[in-house]
Amino acid sequence: MKNILNKVNSLRPKILTLLASLLLLPIACTDLEEEVFSEVTESSFVPSESDIISVMASAYTPMRFVMGWQGYFDLQEEPGDMFVTPTRPNGWDDGGTYKRMHFHEWTETQWQPRNTWITCFNGINSANRVILQVESGELPVSEEQASAIISEMRALRALYYSMLVDTHGNVPIIASYSDELPVQSSRSEVYNFIVSELTEVIPNLTEVVDQSTYGRMTKWAAYHVLARVYLNAEVYTGTAQWDNVIDACDEIISSGAFELSSNYSDIFSTENQGNPEMVFAIPYDQIFAGDWNAHMKMLLPDHRLVFDMQAQPWGGSSCNPQFIDSYDANDKRLADTWLMGDQLNASDGSVVMTLRKEMPSIYDCEFTDGFRCGKYEIESGATAGLSVDFPFLRYTDVLMMKAEALLRTNRADEAATIVTQVRLRSFEDPAEATVTGTELEGDTTVEYGTLAEDGTIDEPGDQSAVPYGRFLDELGWEFAAEARRRTDMIRFGVYQTKNWYNHTPQGDYTILFPIGLEELNTNTNLRQNPGY
Amino acid sequence: MKLANFLFKECLGTNCLKKQLVLSLFCVFVAQAGFSQQTVTGNITDEQGIPIAGAAVLEKNTANGTATDFDGNYEITTSQSDAVLVFSYLGFVSQEIPVQGKSTINVVLKEDLQQLSEVVVIGYGTQKRADVTSSVATVKSEDFVQGNVKDAAQLIQGKVAGLSVSAPSGDPTEGTQINLRGFSSLTGGSNPLVLVDGVPGSLNTVAPEDIESIDVLKDGSATAIYGTRGTNGVIIITTKKGSADMKPTIEYNGYASLSTIADRLDFLDAGELRQKFNEGYTFNGANIQDFGSDTDWVDQITRDAYSQVHNLIFRAGNSTSNMTASLNYRDLEGIFLKSDNKRHTARVSVNHAMFDNRLKANVGVILSEQTFNALGDGASFNPYIYRQALIRNPTEPVYNEDGTWYERDVYFYDNPVAYIQETIGQNRYRNTRFDFSLSYDFGDHVTIKGLYTRKGNSNIRGFYETKNHVSTTKNGQEGFASRGTDDYVGNYGQFTVDYDNSFGKHKVTGLVGYNYEDNTSEGFWATNRRFPTDGFTYNNIGSGQGLQLGEAGMYSEKYSDKLIAFFSRVTYNYDDRYLLMASMRREGSSRFGEDNKWGNFPGISLGWRVDQESFADNWDWLSNLKLRTGFGITGINAGANYQALSGLKYGDYFLNNGQWVRELVPSRNANPNLRWEKKEEFNLGLDFGVLDGRINGSVDYYNRTTKDALLNYSVPTPPYFYGEIAANVAQIKNTGLEFLLNVTPFQTDNFEWTANLTYSTNTNEVVSLSNGEFQLTNDFFDEGYTGEPIQIETHRIQEGQPIGNFFGLKSVDITEDGIWVIERPDGTLVPATEATTDDRQVLGNGLPKTYYSWNNTVKYKNWDLMVNLRGALDYQILNFSRMFYENPTISYNTLDSAYDMVYGKAVLQDVQRFVSYYVEDGDFLKIDNVTLGYTLPKDAIKFAQSFRIYASGLNLATITGYKGIDPEVNRNRTPNDGIVPGNDNRDKYPSIRTFTLGINFTF
Repeated sequence: MKNILNKVNSLRPKILTLLASLLLLPIACTDLEEEVFSEVTESSFVPSESDIISVMASAYTPMRFVMGWQGYFDLQEEPGDMFVTPTRPNGWDDGGTYKRMHFHEWTETQWQPRNTWITCFNGINSANRVILQVESGELPVSEEQASAIISEMRALRALYYSMLVDTHGNVPIIASYSDELPVQSSRSEVYNFIVSELTEVIPNLTEVVDQSTYGRMTKWAAYHVLARVYLNAEVYTGTAQWDNVIDACDEIISSGAFELSSNYSDIFSTENQGNPEMVFAIPYDQIFAGDWNAHMKMLLPDHRLVFDMQAQPWGGSSCNPQFIDSYDANDKRLADTWLMGDQLNASDGSVVMTLRKEMPSIYDCEFTDGFRCGKYEIESGATAGLSVDFPFLRYTDVLMMKAEALLRTNRADEAATIVTQVRLRSFEDPAEATVTGTELEGDTTVEYGTLAEDGTIDEPGDQSAVPYGRFLDELGWEFAAEARRRTDMIRFGVYQTKNWYNHTPQGDYTILFPIGLEELNTNTNLRQNPGY
Repeated sequence: MKLANFLFKECLGTNCLKKQLVLSLFCVFVAQAGFSQQTVTGNITDEQGIPIAGAAVLEKNTANGTATDFDGNYEITTSQSDAVLVFSYLGFVSQEIPVQGKSTINVVLKEDLQQLSEVVVIGYGTQKRADVTSSVATVKSEDFVQGNVKDAAQLIQGKVAGLSVSAPSGDPTEGTQINLRGFSSLTGGSNPLVLVDGVPGSLNTVAPEDIESIDVLKDGSATAIYGTRGTNGVIIITTKKGSADMKPTIEYNGYASLSTIADRLDFLDAGELRQKFNEGYTFNGANIQDFGSDTDWVDQITRDAYSQVHNLIFRAGNSTSNMTASLNYRDLEGIFLKSDNKRHTARVSVNHAMFDNRLKANVGVILSEQTFNALGDGASFNPYIYRQALIRNPTEPVYNEDGTWYERDVYFYDNPVAYIQETIGQNRYRNTRFDFSLSYDFGDHVTIKGLYTRKGNSNIRGFYETKNHVSTTKNGQEGFASRGTDDYVGNYGQFTVDYDNSFGKHKVTGLVGYNYEDNTSEGFWATNRRFPTDGFTYNNIGSGQGLQLGEAGMYSEKYSDKLIAFFSRVTYNYDDRYLLMASMRREGSSRFGEDNKWGNFPGISLGWRVDQESFADNWDWLSNLKLRTGFGITGINAGANYQALSGLKYGDYFLNNGQWVRELVPSRNANPNLRWEKKEEFNLGLDFGVLDGRINGSVDYYNRTTKDALLNYSVPTPPYFYGEIAANVAQIKNTGLEFLLNVTPFQTDNFEWTANLTYSTNTNEVVSLSNGEFQLTNDFFDEGYTGEPIQIETHRIQEGQPIGNFFGLKSVDITEDGIWVIERPDGTLVPATEATTDDRQVLGNGLPKTYYSWNNTVKYKNWDLMVNLRGALDYQILNFSRMFYENPTISYNTLDSAYDMVYGKAVLQDVQRFVSYYVEDGDFLKIDNVTLGYTLPKDAIKFAQSFRIYASGLNLATITGYKGIDPEVNRNRTPNDGIVPGNDNRDKYPSIRTFTLGINFTF
């Protein structure tokens, strides 16, 4: 007995040592540093030269929201007189969101304006971040490169602000990447900021127009943005800038870098990247950048068979019959822009369905009610992400801006010459393409007024002539479904005064969208736009 | 008493010391033998007739005693002529029987209903029930819910006051939902910490049949020792174990089950649809015309589901070593075709004691393998298929005449049978756990213990959609395959020093310890399409051409985190009257900001055993009365890794000079100030027992306040890069009452009825959603989403309001044209077409204010009957099925009720809307679990120690006004929607009703 106990006693220290070494081992560990594997930490990251473009890319990619879900396209087209998204057999009431857009009865929780605000500021924030990284020496760039990058980023930032000044107006001007809570600026301050920024950076921007600058802010893209804000200066500030519009457009025209596309449809084809009209394109790609789903919102499920698509579209938005009725019957842009009548099966040519122009009510439409936008090519095998590059700034717009400025400064015949030049490619007979200055000064051909279910005018509303209304029609026919109708209608005074489809005017305050509830909620410096 | 206490503390679940006790008593007995004597023999069993080994048999007022052997037999020679024998065993009521000349005395020991001597598992140790000062509930295996349970939590469904366990999904791979004392966290969810034999695990780590008991630590003073994840309570699972000197036994537990859909939604069948056509109704989309067939689509994709479960446990022990080995096999079928879950679990645990039982070692292994069919990519169930069966035109055939699937081009409309049959998928998981622990008892009141566990999970997933699947026939994928695999490893280490001593009337225990835990997860996932043949399914993913065409996907990730803690605890007991427990844990998590990684989590509780006071000596009716109070702080870890860390990622593509390059952007808004979410809880409780414990129970009041609650907070962009940041902003308050009552209304030799009642209430309030750093202009945010086409939020979380509020339009009437009439918050009425989002208001709340249960056990001779009823009161449910399908204007099949008059006035002609008409009261009473068992008389079977057969039903009947399938709907936080309790999603895997036949026997 004693032996055993001795043995136990002699073993005990060894056991205890073993225990202690096993159990006390982890005591040493109080290290709680986080280990990363599939991302990089900002503190340890050293950017290489190839990362420069990746860093700059972050300021450009937000632009793809233009043709994305409830993106800029929806914001510019849903409140206009061209597109309507009525309730259909498969839904599309969507909590009333599209009706509020049509009626101009949006609230501060409306998603389309919020998306534009969030995305533009995302781009602005990223541009500022790139500028900071260049200025702080974080990116390995030469002095020359640094100046070019900073100018390009400032021009891109101005592009984002050119959208915000139009949609929300009184937005904060944020010119650096900092922790400061942004302070709100007035619409005219934002306008002045855009003009001064572009004017300042234009001399430093590249004049090259080729693959290397495709989808980037060149000198010409910057002039184009400048011309656009000058064109709308009267809306933004109360003071028109027509001569400045002409000067900026002339810079682009005289560069000789662009020309009109001989074929209208080519501008909107899948392979439109080499089109001579492109001043600033937003590249999309089914594989790499599939953000374009605007076509899914417009086409019907059965268009899968018509275009041999690899996706089944959702079938919501179609064209207000009043706008269709305004077209000249021989204007090829009618058929180039809208899918009408029989829709044929791609494989056997049989009729899949027949689209009709009529759309009885925003509360109740059949699937096949209303013509659909077919302007952007749906290639065989197209998916929910279209590969067409969006022509955000195109040369025709430069010509038309100049024409409008001439028209409004009593040079109607000069304007008519330009408009005729633009129309020529869309008419078989050049005589039909020709317009006169007097015509352009005349009223719109759109018959405004709300529609009854049978398609007749229900409430005519304001029937006074629209000054230069015919020019607005020209913009509509040429730039249908190019995410700009709202801006044009405001400039011509139609947006806030006329009745169309199921819409009646709500007042001037609707020219600006409300600032989003969430944005107001999180930034106490912001005040809501007047009228909301 | 001291010896007994020592026994309780040190020999949980073992008989080691009992043997010592018996030996010493035997020595005494031998020394004192020699008077006029009588020899008495007999057998001691429990109420099930199972022999009790090691039960003590003492001659009253003498030192004469013995203990029963393996088979419960004893033999004692009395020393006095009027001898009285005392029979006792831990956890059972002692019995005194005068010998009166009898030579054979067989005894059936009854369980101690008061359970004062019961051992309660608390954090890092055990305590006698009588000494517990916090709110801890214990459920033993004999009280478990029987039948085809989903996981360990369902075993104690309705058994613990304040712990809500529900099984809203019938998916055999889905577990239960647990909520303890309301929602204390906005992002941390409501899942409690689950410990399996002391190591963090899950409710599925071991098979339900392998569990001996489950302890639930409810209040903050009890869970503070687990600091990090103590906020939602701690569920401690103790597995069945071998013990010293245990006779080798084999225990078999098996059952077969039949499950059916609990209830079906009444959609138009073919005849009813034709009737509607005849009545002049016209439809779009799905029901546009009569296609000539008669198909019950739900029938086509569902079945009676048969399941079987087998569990074997081997246990044995000698004086120094004991072991447990178990093997569990579950083969579960779901009610949908191809929905299943197969699981094997094996567990081996070996204990060895050396050096006078001072050194104890344990080696354990738990292995499991789970395999199930995947109808979704990586998921057991694809809710889209069920939806398609509900909304499909019942006059459509399943097949075309040529045998191909009948399909039509309608928006989001696919043949559900084809979807199931043309999908091939399988997920397989392997889980491992290796345990090793050593403890050493210094004999002078100090024990040290170390424990190390290595955990691992891995899975591999395969998924394929054939060329006959709509992914090809409608979307041109030419076959779609995905493969994925995940791997997890974790290390868990623990070192403790225990101290235990008595000084007269003072009893003291102490504990200090260290805890280390790390977790590393990795994942890989790939997809491809355009396969040359369906023959490979997902097994030859490289053979698809999608990879070359840029249509394939690939993804991998890896991340890790760590938790480290130091902790200590002291208990003090004065004269079994005044009790104190105090604990402190200092814990650090790698997930928090550099300066905020560590948090302190103290807990303290006090108890006063009133019945032990001298003034209570004469209160014979009183067997137990204890007042308890406690306060504790617990924490919630950040939900995701790296939220405090500034990271960069390569994101979307950008076209640069004809090449697509990736952008480089910040991964997130890093919050270096991220810190522990802390919950402070005050608990006041009372335990009582009267009439020898025939009536006993407890009452608890709690008041918990969560401070610095984590939230993905909306921030302005800029200056922030993203619109949300993880921040400690919110404050939430929960108060509630819990009642537990155990009653034994009848108790005779042959008949016993025991009833157990629980009742709990909870009141919840979001106190604040802002702090000094982060401010909201408005005091709310919205959560939940109806989905298309309604597309609006369902819930609002607002300061001063409870969590779970439905927020939408209040419908009060309908126009003659069938358009909803909405009452605005100011009381005015407008048609729904003119109502805006500003007209929304609170429509109800999805969290029950009250849960209750009533569990009955009746024993008559060898028969036992368990009837468990439970329910919840005072809450609402948003019935998505009615909101979407009780509408004749939609372009899919509808509920029969879509054509009923709304408010008795008009048939609905409005679009689908989220209005209060679909917010229904959810109050219910369920006859949930009924089990009838029969235990064969002991002499009827020779080969087995016990043999029981039983039949059981789960989710048998529901009494409710709710019109959906089951009023027990999702109440947990969901990753996609947030905290949206009460949303009865239209695609939810319907809950099931299950009938089970089972046998248990022990050799």
